[in-house]
Amino acid sequence: MRRTGLLYDDRFLLHQTGPGHPECPERLVVIHKAMEEAHLLEDLVPIPASPAKIKWIEKVHSPRHVFKVEEASLLDLGELDTADNQLSPETFDTAVLAIGGILNGVDLIMKGEIDNAFCAVRPPGHHAEPNRGLGFCFFNNVAVAAKYLQIEWRVQRVAIIDIDVHHGNGTQRIFEEDPDVLYCSIHEHPSFSFPGSGREFEKGSGPGYGFTINCPVLPGQGDDEYRKKFERTLLPAVDDFRPEVVLISAGFDAHSDDDMSDIRLSTDHYSWMTRQILEVADRHSGGRLISVLEGGYCLQILPELVVNHVRILLDR
Amino acid sequence: MFIDKSMIKNVITIHPEAGILEAHALMADNRIRHLPVVNGDDRLLGIVTDRDIRSALPSSLLSPEEIEVERERISGLRIRDIMTRDMVTISPYQTLEDAILLMQQTKVGAFPVVDLDGKLTGIISIRDLMRAFVNVLGLEEPGALVGIIVEDKVGQMKKIVDTITEEGVSFGSILVARYWEEGKRAVFPYLLTTNMPRVRRKLEEAGFTLLNPMEWSLDQLPKR
Repeated sequence: MRRTGLLYDDRFLLHQTGPGHPECPERLVVIHKAMEEAHLLEDLVPIPASPAKIKWIEKVHSPRHVFKVEEASLLDLGELDTADNQLSPETFDTAVLAIGGILNGVDLIMKGEIDNAFCAVRPPGHHAEPNRGLGFCFFNNVAVAAKYLQIEWRVQRVAIIDIDVHHGNGTQRIFEEDPDVLYCSIHEHPSFSFPGSGREFEKGSGPGYGFTINCPVLPGQGDDEYRKKFERTLLPAVDDFRPEVVLISAGFDAHSDDDMSDIRLSTDHYSWMTRQILEVADRHSGGRLISVLEGGYCLQILPELVVNHVRILLDR
Repeated sequence: MFIDKSMIKNVITIHPEAGILEAHALMADNRIRHLPVVNGDDRLLGIVTDRDIRSALPSSLLSPEEIEVERERISGLRIRDIMTRDMVTISPYQTLEDAILLMQQTKVGAFPVVDLDGKLTGIISIRDLMRAFVNVLGLEEPGALVGIIVEDKVGQMKKIVDTITEEGVSFGSILVARYWEEGKRAVFPYLLTTNMPRVRRKLEEAGFTLLNPMEWSLDQLPKR
């Protein structure tokens, strides 16, 4: 069994998105309950949540954007930029707490106290760009973690594997010129799905050209297509890159039961992807892997997918 | 949507007495395919395209000796010898619609833009029209498409817009595909939201039929 950390805090429920919004606190409630029922909690090392220092968030986002999120929360403006990004007075604090917890997880892994981690956080992050929130995301959790690894832990090569059904436009934008961060995303084809980016020919720019890998998948496709793209494109790219740490943008919305997309992955395929990514981390990164929750909106299937994911991380 | 807003104004031109190898280099260096030919006071005399030049250059299948002879011949050729004199031009006061339809009709990829005095003021190519198209589609804004089949009658668009606006969702653009089936059109709003399931549900509740994404198409060849 591996030493796997779990980041979860009841305060992640305080970010409210209003009635009928898919990115709701219940997502974490059902995840946590399922982990409890599967008796996973006793095997997991709790990662404490604490507010991140704003300077780390500002390695990714402009101070103006950070201020805008704080202001919109405190003034209870209801939404930031678009109706997708509903917020409540606690949103800013919740987002800062989530990032702080993820950075604590990074510390534990880099000190060798745990092998890998799953971060059950809200709000999600991969759509957030330097100057704006988008698609339910305010701050880019995974991007801040990657910057922290680069600066605080002097890690040379970080791979981010994004399996959310939507393209992580924010993460791509943040690292598109950086050859030390490999961003790989598999998602529904942008002509059919938000945010409309992540086309196959988007490969990064300047010195970062070739360090952005996009694998778009057509609506109606599922396991077979994902497996092909993983085996032929995504995993070989990570192998060539030899990351020292692997981050997962763990979205569970490509499952066939999730109505966020027309991609139809099976439950087993999610487990297969987790195993593949864990193995690639074993090959190059000494197993150092941090998985951060992004999407996944079907409250019936989400907990099962997360339990399977964490069970594989634990090697249990 | 006037041509002069979308055209390239700093046009790279060539003089009729210039050699064709010079024109060849100018096109390669600037990655362009059309060179308007002008005299000293910017009066348009003709146009040369990369195809005109390539067909004047020696074939790569010739022997080295033959190429040498050909080069000798080519070095004497001037732009005026190969340029097209009866080119299609457009005026800055015509519109993007004029340009698109004219390109479709003439199968020409770029038009020199000539003002009322016959002077060259710009060039507009299919690339400029594509840039404008990317802009009006809102392709660079984060969003997603939804495909809706509607009856071809007044008031349908209002119903779609109202239903979506009630959800607080903004529009990036709306495309309408004609040539669908008899009496039907396909409408594709590009919506600036990731919350598509909700929008789809509301549209269905409003009585619309949504298209399976794998059946989306913008353009079917008109039935003969």
